[in-house]
Amino acid sequence: MLGLVVAVSQVRYARPIAVAGAFDKLAAYLGRWLFPGSQYYAHIMQPGIVWPVWVVLGIFIGAYASAKLSGSANKRWLPETQWQARFGATRMPRLVIAFLGAALVQFGAGIAGGCTSGLAISGGALLAPAAFLFMLGMFAAGIPTAWLWYRKERS
Amino acid sequence: MQAVLTPIGLGILFGWALHKAGLTQYARIVNVYRLRDLTVIRFMLTALVVGAVAIQCGVDLGLATAALPVPPTSLVANVVGGAVFGVGMASAGYCPGTIVAEAGEGRLDALFAGFAGLIAGALLFGLVEPFIMPALTRVGGLGRVTFADLVGAKPWLALLVFAELVSLLLFVTRRAGGECEQGSPMARP
Repeated sequence: MLGLVVAVSQVRYARPIAVAGAFDKLAAYLGRWLFPGSQYYAHIMQPGIVWPVWVVLGIFIGAYASAKLSGSANKRWLPETQWQARFGATRMPRLVIAFLGAALVQFGAGIAGGCTSGLAISGGALLAPAAFLFMLGMFAAGIPTAWLWYRKERS
Repeated sequence: MQAVLTPIGLGILFGWALHKAGLTQYARIVNVYRLRDLTVIRFMLTALVVGAVAIQCGVDLGLATAALPVPPTSLVANVVGGAVFGVGMASAGYCPGTIVAEAGEGRLDALFAGFAGLIAGALLFGLVEPFIMPALTRVGGLGRVTFADLVGAKPWLALLVFAELVSLLLFVTRRAGGECEQGSPMARP
């Protein structure tokens, strides 16, 4: 299903499913205002409500609809049991790690030229080396990171 | 109108699939990096092969409307960016797409902290881009190429090799499903 959506998007519309790209476009509104002298926001990353932004809106609706139909679309602040077993059931640790984690993935996607959907899946389905190099970096750094978070539990 | 409804429609299908595949669960993502539950990897590899075959069929049938959006390969930038991405993903259990899908499901941490983090990360990248990207792309830039372009092979041959490698990986990891999978009839082949 994911594969087919990516295929249709890329063959018929010549566009990857680029979620990080959408947030770059939205952040550019703020970026232009915060950094008026920036060449990056003047020329490379111009703001706009463009194709990927609409895709993002669709993802929001699609996940909501699927969750609603399976009865799991309720408002909550924390992930399920594993998070709470490791980090407790208070909001603050989640919000801090969620914010920093999201900032890191967006920053990393900026360097690499795409995110899991825009580079790994979309580019991977085109058999582009960029996608597989990205996944190599993801696991090379992600596995030790996860180990650090959970090492106490193992010992 | 078409330029708005088409991407929304594609997004709906994508978000639906993310939720159905369980990719919006923190544990599902993080346990991949803990090497506890490789379901997500197996799912993604399958999606890549299905996507790659569908793309090649589409192109051969003349359905393509423009050149395929092949992402540029830059050896250092792709790996370094992936590494930064991996640290964030293994910590929060997020990637940009799943943050949006989780927010849709009602996860308020994703809607507030996640969205704010994405915007902050994008702004930080915008700020330092002129200082870091020239260094990261100085060597190893190959342009918008695929594996088939690199070795001068036919796309179908590259696809066949890729499908074989993925099949092998799926076979090797077939018992690494993890506890979440036990209810599924596909869990123990």
